[in-house]
Amino acid sequence: MEYALYLGCTIPLKMPHFEFAFREIANILGYKFKEMEGASCCPDPVATQSVSIDTWLTIAARNLCIAEKMDLDILTICSGCYETLKTTQVLLEEDKAAFDRVNSVLKKIGYEYKGTSKVYHFVELFAQDEMLDKIKNILMKPIDNLNVAVHYGCHLVRPSKILQFDHPERPETMDKIIEAMGAKTVEFAGKLECCGFCARLQEEIGFELVEKKMTELKDLEEEVDVMVGVCPACVGQYDRKERLLSRKTDKELDIPVLYLPELMAIAFGVEPDKLGLTNRSVRPKKLIEKLNI
Amino acid sequence: MTEEEVINAKDLDKDFRYEISQKVGAKSLLKCIQCGVCSSGCTVTEYVDLQPHRVVASCLLGLKNRVLSSNAIWTCSLCHRCTERCPKGVDYSFILALLRNLAVKEGNIPKEYQSTIQTLHDNGFVVPYTGGLATTIDRRRERMGLPKLNQPNLEEIDFIMKETGIGNLIEKAIKDMEDEK
Repeated sequence: MEYALYLGCTIPLKMPHFEFAFREIANILGYKFKEMEGASCCPDPVATQSVSIDTWLTIAARNLCIAEKMDLDILTICSGCYETLKTTQVLLEEDKAAFDRVNSVLKKIGYEYKGTSKVYHFVELFAQDEMLDKIKNILMKPIDNLNVAVHYGCHLVRPSKILQFDHPERPETMDKIIEAMGAKTVEFAGKLECCGFCARLQEEIGFELVEKKMTELKDLEEEVDVMVGVCPACVGQYDRKERLLSRKTDKELDIPVLYLPELMAIAFGVEPDKLGLTNRSVRPKKLIEKLNI
Repeated sequence: MTEEEVINAKDLDKDFRYEISQKVGAKSLLKCIQCGVCSSGCTVTEYVDLQPHRVVASCLLGLKNRVLSSNAIWTCSLCHRCTERCPKGVDYSFILALLRNLAVKEGNIPKEYQSTIQTLHDNGFVVPYTGGLATTIDRRRERMGLPKLNQPNLEEIDFIMKETGIGNLIEKAIKDMEDEK
């Protein structure tokens, strides 16, 4: 269970508390990591891909080469990185001309991309049966009184012809992990809706999408205690915009949004003070009280 | 009703469809049957001047300028539902990325993306990591007991950007910055 750990940029630089929670739970679950020396941004699937697909593929292939040299598969902790690295692998396998073009550039700086390291998102690994059993056995802090809304986020599941690990419109992996911890997941119509972060050139789109999803969750019969995501862009988007919307409108949008490893860290008994749970716009005050942590 | 518009057949770029379909991942363009599934599931369908199926139709017709100057190619939220649901396997979200590339080549690049590319070039990350900012980030990580960050190899990133044809964007940004001073 040793992997090359690919951190990306948003989490290690802007949300290190997410990285902390992830490292804690992965360690408890028995994973071992080697850091990827010299790795850069994946690069991001929005701006870089939009500007030049060739640049995007080549920088991504360089990152993949670093893991290949380490002779390890890659574990990503961000859905954007997951999409970029996995898409690059599939495209370069399908298109010989692109494969040659990328390698002709990489060769000049001493790399050769082969496509031998697989790319995983931690959700994919944690949702395997034996890992779900392990999660059930590790639990130290019961969270079975929680109603959890799951936000998969687009880049974890689509396009399925590339990512190939869960149903693109009715995914189950994250629900399974949360249910393994004893919490209840709620069903709601907007579960698979986009957060709008990537439509960042027109911010009103993000506001509208966040308002719609969060209003639906507030209006559900059962009270939602927390929404959980696995992409730093989505988690940050809901957290920030919920607060801004509460100020701008008369709606009280106050559902806290956590990165899945943070909820797992709580359930695994990691000291809550170390998790930086209040380090966000919508502070999970009620959640902390309900869990008595 | 929108005003009727007449486009002369000689103004169409008949090769535009092939300019797109010969590229990595965009070969599927020619399979479109105009069913509109992409547009009905599109996250941003209410915000665009050309809905996805109309962007594809415009590409097939050769309306290059109209496509490249539309807001539709930049408004996409990259949710990939169009690609996922297309019954003919047209990879619209990837075709859109390619259209953005073509628009950038014609000098049309949103300033937000220009600045992201510059940040990537200067830091190896799309988040600034130099000087005082780097010190703040490093201290925060140290307090949390996280390992020291690996510095990306900036020379290699610079080399790749130049070799893959976007060196001009970086030089342009540097020039713009100097002009502002």
